[in-house]
Amino acid sequence: MASEVNTDFLHNKKLDSIAADILRPVGITQGFIVWMGFLGISLLACIYAYYIQFDKGLIVTGLRDYISWGMYIANFVFFVATSLVGMLISSVLGLIGLKWVKPIARIAEIIAVAFAAIAGLVIVSDMGRPERLPYVFLYGRIQSPIIWDVTVVTTYLVISTLLYFLPLIPDLAISKGRMGHTPKWLQQTYEILSVKWNHTPKQYQILMKAVRIMLILIIPTAFAIHTVTSWLFAVTLRPGWDSSIFGPYFLTGAFVAGSAAVVILMYFVRVNYKLDKYLTTHHFDMMGKLLVLVSIVYLYFNINEYLVPGFKMKTAEAIHLHDLFVGEYALMFWSVQLLGLVIPIILLLFKFFRKPFPMFVISVFVLVAAWFKRFIIVVPTQDHPFLPIQRVPHEWMVYHPTIVESAITMGTIILAVIIITILVKFFPVIPIWEVAEEQNELDSKTKE
Amino acid sequence: MIKRYFSLLLIVLISLRLSAQVWVVPAENETRKSPFAFDDASRKAGSDLYYTNCKSCHGEPGKNNAIPLVPPPPDMASAKMQGNSDGAMQYKLISGRGPMPSFKNTLSATDLWRVISFVRSFNPSYKQEIASASAAAGTSAQNVKIVLSWLKETNQVQASISGVKDKVNQPLAGAEVKLFAKRYFGYLLVDEPRTTDALGKAVFNFPKDLPGDSTGYVQLVASLTNDVAFGETKADTSLVIGVPTYRPPLTEKRAMWNVVSKAPIWLLLSYTIAVFGAWGFIIYVLLQIRAIYRAGGRKEND
Amino acid sequence: MSHNSNDTGHDHTNREKENVNSRRAFFKNFGLAGAVAAVGGAAIYSGYKYEESKPGHDMVKVLTSDNRIVEVPKDQIKDVRVDTDQLQKQGREGLKGHRFVMVIDLAKCRNARKCISACQGAHHLRPYEYHINTLVMQESEHTAPYFMPKPCQHCDNPPCVAVCPVDATFKRQDGIVLIDNERCIGCRFCIAACPYSARLFHWEEPLMAESDKGKPYNIELNIPQRKGTITKCLFSSDRLREGKLPYCVSACPNGVYYFGDENQDAVTNGTTKETFRLSELLRVNAGYQLMPELGTKPRVYYLPPKNRLFEFKEEKDPVQETT
Repeated sequence: MASEVNTDFLHNKKLDSIAADILRPVGITQGFIVWMGFLGISLLACIYAYYIQFDKGLIVTGLRDYISWGMYIANFVFFVATSLVGMLISSVLGLIGLKWVKPIARIAEIIAVAFAAIAGLVIVSDMGRPERLPYVFLYGRIQSPIIWDVTVVTTYLVISTLLYFLPLIPDLAISKGRMGHTPKWLQQTYEILSVKWNHTPKQYQILMKAVRIMLILIIPTAFAIHTVTSWLFAVTLRPGWDSSIFGPYFLTGAFVAGSAAVVILMYFVRVNYKLDKYLTTHHFDMMGKLLVLVSIVYLYFNINEYLVPGFKMKTAEAIHLHDLFVGEYALMFWSVQLLGLVIPIILLLFKFFRKPFPMFVISVFVLVAAWFKRFIIVVPTQDHPFLPIQRVPHEWMVYHPTIVESAITMGTIILAVIIITILVKFFPVIPIWEVAEEQNELDSKTKE
Repeated sequence: MIKRYFSLLLIVLISLRLSAQVWVVPAENETRKSPFAFDDASRKAGSDLYYTNCKSCHGEPGKNNAIPLVPPPPDMASAKMQGNSDGAMQYKLISGRGPMPSFKNTLSATDLWRVISFVRSFNPSYKQEIASASAAAGTSAQNVKIVLSWLKETNQVQASISGVKDKVNQPLAGAEVKLFAKRYFGYLLVDEPRTTDALGKAVFNFPKDLPGDSTGYVQLVASLTNDVAFGETKADTSLVIGVPTYRPPLTEKRAMWNVVSKAPIWLLLSYTIAVFGAWGFIIYVLLQIRAIYRAGGRKEND
Repeated sequence: MSHNSNDTGHDHTNREKENVNSRRAFFKNFGLAGAVAAVGGAAIYSGYKYEESKPGHDMVKVLTSDNRIVEVPKDQIKDVRVDTDQLQKQGREGLKGHRFVMVIDLAKCRNARKCISACQGAHHLRPYEYHINTLVMQESEHTAPYFMPKPCQHCDNPPCVAVCPVDATFKRQDGIVLIDNERCIGCRFCIAACPYSARLFHWEEPLMAESDKGKPYNIELNIPQRKGTITKCLFSSDRLREGKLPYCVSACPNGVYYFGDENQDAVTNGTTKETFRLSELLRVNAGYQLMPELGTKPRVYYLPPKNRLFEFKEEKDPVQETT
């Protein structure tokens, strides 16, 4: 992103048509009300499930003393992982200067903000005493990776929000006068949020500087957030978790999950808002190439993570790997590895599968597999502690998630979807000014 | 021939096995008797001792609820138990065997007899024989005192026993003394029990490496094994004979597991720098939003 | 820092309880009409109380903590819950000059499980909630099985304490690792970190939670227990303070346990009460620690199951049978 912005695009006629296209879906529509109503009612059921858990205690989950981290923690890791894509697309690729990421950068930031915001909530769902959450800030021990995690998740959420909001400011200003079809309160919100933006070069200069700082700062923060999340496991002594490559292993896995989430949202926006002019097959093609790249890197880390202990077969590791490869978790393990990693890699090498619809289907597989992969990382390790599990009731020895905990997990996903829906529906989902600026450049080039 | 050889072997084996089960009591111990008459007080004290030390295995007397061990712990009211002489009981309490621990160093001689006194209360036909006066008379004394002192050259503790005997206060010979070092939960036996010489003195070798407190004080307790002859006497003295031991609190050093104020310096530094660094930039950018707002305002005003 | 939190925590529950109690009694005895009268009464009474408490009015004899009787004006008496504060303070500090250590003689264990029941009785635990459990161990196919009592190892490099985000579990100067259930947020990171599976979580309302309610929280006994918090073996630190051996140690009928102070180089057998040199006991019997390769530095030593006093006899698991 150049710090010098040519504001000529403001006077280009194309700006009007671009803004009209992008702003058309903004506002409250019937489809939106039905969709939000559906989400809202489902969420109420999930909130009731959480009430049951709050009242009765975590006994209503399938968790017990030996497998004491389950679906919630897997879900937490999934949320943190998915949110990382904001950093990858808008920051890494943006700073490199890839032009094609511009229209999808905001979609990536929406995913980042929604998933990072809910990640904090997910972890609260796992707490035995959620009302003591303030203790984390009052009595925090900085030696605990949880404190590091709380610190970096908060920081990441703030930076992601700023990276969503800062480039939105010019768009809000552009949109202000073109929103006749939307409710008054939304127009007022735009008025306030556009912080008196009137496209002066000085404002652009300040904005570009601020964005640039955040784009650089988000890289170490994003690395920290998922590395620290991986340390929640890697700092323990348990076989399956006690691994020194957990940081990069989680990080690369996060890019896979996040890229898939971006593709899914891109597809929805393209189809529902009829924005195929802006989210072109080229964008899907490029995202397909990105997805195949990060998946191959992730596959490489998978091979490292399973092959090396598998070669040595230390007693405790051997039990764990046996469980994954041919034992209790084999079906889930191989489904995840094949359907969510190997087959997508193979398919995405062909141009045909990088078209919007095949990409969407593949990404759904990848994203669902990413969730179960977190489950595979979190749960089986606890099945076999160093010392035998004896003289406890049967449900202490096995982990079967209950309906209540599944509902609570579903609730967190619904919440993330609600945030995404609101951001997508009430604000321009594609950066108007950046697209217009690019268009203007193209136009001037062709004139020459 | 071979058959006979085998039957002989069998007999030998069986007798060996039998002898393994029979708890042989030396004749000298078999005939020992309590120096005092069993009464309600001794039975009461014995009962308390029994329930704290013996009940967990032998069960409640008369209820046959001993735990199943090999060899089985007999019930106190059983014929097998009551078939022991008082002396045999005392011997078995002192020596212990297999799962049965020795109570030699944990119960005093008087306490042992008290336990036996309690056990006998479950035998209606029991008639007590008290140790003849002559056996104890040679050492019987009153107002017995034990004085402990430190023999630095030889690293020994000396116990001097004196008492009123034949109406004269004099050193007592022939008293068996046990020396203990007080520890937090119990008494550690120092050296073997020793018998006083003609001067009423007994000398104990003290270990060179026994930790004392920070200045080396060790609380010593001496008591008489054959206390029935002398009355229950104890000495309780602290002497600077241990290794001065000060070991710092385990929480003293900085560590990952310690409290926040004892966190490793590198961690405190890197965490603080990282957090302040990142949030410094964030706050700077937030201020930039205000700058954008101001820049916009100015233009409108202009 | 720790005090404030526990203060408020306790305050909160106390007040809650008072409120509930008074409310219940109130409606039972008086009904609504009574309520009006009582409010009036309370106003009058508080006025009277105010008069009475004016300075220089009444003197009260008070016994101080150093056993002196002093007279103080009545209005200067404040209700201080010394109990909880004191229990918290001493519980977090630990016993000065000691380093507690346990030795478990595997040759003597026959799985009598008296240690377990004594512990569960003292700490109000359900039959399948173990601060200490006896495990059936077998190193490999052709080695002999044996019983291994397994309490918390009270490590000197405790992985569970290192990961706690709120200082709820902590190590004291005497080596004991405790858990403060008025601080614990229930994240269960410590369960994940402990290689000895020594920790358990109150998934539901703890046993006897109702009858323990309102008792001052004793961090060394971890009673009253709280739903949604961690609990674990405490080395019976409430007993150690009185110079007594832990519940499990004194309950063992077979002389399995020795407990003592490493600083004094002495351990006392819980069954016979006989005291031994720790160093000698470990040397003569080739004592060892559980999984020392993990670097946790346990404070519990084991004596190998050699020349065992009892036949190994595995029983059916009664917990599994009944559930």
